[in-house]
Amino acid sequence: MHTLMLVDNDPAVRDIFSTFLKKSEYQVHVVSGGKECLNLLKTTVPDLILLDIMMEPMDGWETLNAIKKNPATRSIPVIMLTGKQPTYNEIIHYGGRVEDYMMKPMDFKAFIHSLTAFFERHSSRQREAQRLQKEGFDPVLIDEYYQLARTSAISENIRQRFGKTWRVNDNDYRMRKDRLHQLQATLRLPVSDPDTNRQAERRNPNHGTMHK
Amino acid sequence: MKKAAIFIVEDEAIVAEDIRETVKKLGYFVCGIARSGEVAIKKVREARPDLVLMDIHLAGPMDGIEAARQIHSRFGIPVIYITAHADDELLERAKVTEPYGYIIKPYDERELHSVIEMAQYKHGMEQKLQQSTLTIRALANAIPDAIMLLDPQRRIIALNEPMAQRLGQDTVQVIGSPVADFNGEGSLNTVLYSLETVMESSCCVQFEESDGGRWFEITLYPIPDIDGSLTRIAVQYHDINDRKEFEDQLKEEGVSQLEHNMEQFQILNDEIRNPLQAILGYIDLDCAKFRPNIGEQIKNIDTIIARLDQGWVESEKVRNFLLRHYRHGKGDPAGGERESSRGGQT
Repeated sequence: MHTLMLVDNDPAVRDIFSTFLKKSEYQVHVVSGGKECLNLLKTTVPDLILLDIMMEPMDGWETLNAIKKNPATRSIPVIMLTGKQPTYNEIIHYGGRVEDYMMKPMDFKAFIHSLTAFFERHSSRQREAQRLQKEGFDPVLIDEYYQLARTSAISENIRQRFGKTWRVNDNDYRMRKDRLHQLQATLRLPVSDPDTNRQAERRNPNHGTMHK
Repeated sequence: MKKAAIFIVEDEAIVAEDIRETVKKLGYFVCGIARSGEVAIKKVREARPDLVLMDIHLAGPMDGIEAARQIHSRFGIPVIYITAHADDELLERAKVTEPYGYIIKPYDERELHSVIEMAQYKHGMEQKLQQSTLTIRALANAIPDAIMLLDPQRRIIALNEPMAQRLGQDTVQVIGSPVADFNGEGSLNTVLYSLETVMESSCCVQFEESDGGRWFEITLYPIPDIDGSLTRIAVQYHDINDRKEFEDQLKEEGVSQLEHNMEQFQILNDEIRNPLQAILGYIDLDCAKFRPNIGEQIKNIDTIIARLDQGWVESEKVRNFLLRHYRHGKGDPAGGERESSRGGQT
């Protein structure tokens, strides 16, 4: 059974998410803000943190920074769970350190499904990373690859959801894609979008994490 | 009409008497006669005649030309020369004193009459011109704008006191100097550069520039001569510093209000999705059981929409302000639209 930590300042949102998560047999710790999250992390290490962004006084991005700075909590995966449309700069800046960017409101079935998919993908990635390290690839390169893969996957999803209204720096976007393909070639991984599986999920209406 | 008072300067008593008779006959009033230059100056100062008839050759150390010069320059009274000989050298000397007429003896009544009348007319015109020059100067100095006129060689023809102050010079000293001589500060550089454009195109040039810590609207406009040729260019400095400061302040307020609104919209964007998420969950769980919860969340949404409405009103204010001040016409929000519709017709 996976343990999750849900960080959100809205009590109704906390209630309803924890209800569904518990129903799906997740163990859930619920906190109302960034500071409370960091406090609880001193005693509890969850398998995943679901983090809201627009919170006072410490917002989600600040909380993420603190989690990723601390060696004790750095490896805990984080999914942003928010109503805020991200800017391209935010995704470039933070995208490498988060597993996904989910936007409220979303269908709970799809949400639960995407969590399952995440845990599967996460463990397969961990296995892949271990293998690459054993094969003697530079850990810095491996890290760069996964960060870039996450950023690319998230920005691709947001682009699909918002279309042209989401303003992207096209040059930067292309450069990142090119670098990603380069890294895939270097690490002898199949040169394709690393997010092919998730895109397939999204194309299937029963599996989408995003509520349209 | 008042009879003109005439003063006669003649060293020969008989000739003086003859002139007096003629002048009286012509209907003028003779207010005095002097036989030497020195006495003439003294008497003219007291009598203040309208005109002086002056013999060029006078007995004594001061000749008629010198006496005429002093009378004209000190008292502004016009002088007509009377002489028996008209050699060129004498005429040249007399010319310098700007005489109002010249009569060569022997003269007849009619000639004397017309010369006196012409001299009076000319003097009257000169006084009017002097008056209007004073009026124009007073007007030019009364406005706070700094103004100067340049000739096509970029020399200063005229300027008002505010402009002299700008150039750090005395008004009279500056006249005739090339404007480039005063090119210490930044804005004169642009003025010199723009002069080319004005002379080439004969069009007005206007720009805003900061100079000595204040903002000016600087206008250069061509002043064509009667025949249409460009002989003068006016340069005007209009101080717009207060307006600029006010505009900057308004701009800043507008921008910060917009930023505030955008921030609020972002927060509300996020907040409105929370109750929607909760409602979605309640529906999934059991619609009937969670009816009160759903109602509460709908109320939350309504509050957020009210805040969005308020944000819209605030944004509209900022938009109208920006339209008013930064689109085509100043202070006229419809100005821009009129402009574009006119553009559409052409």
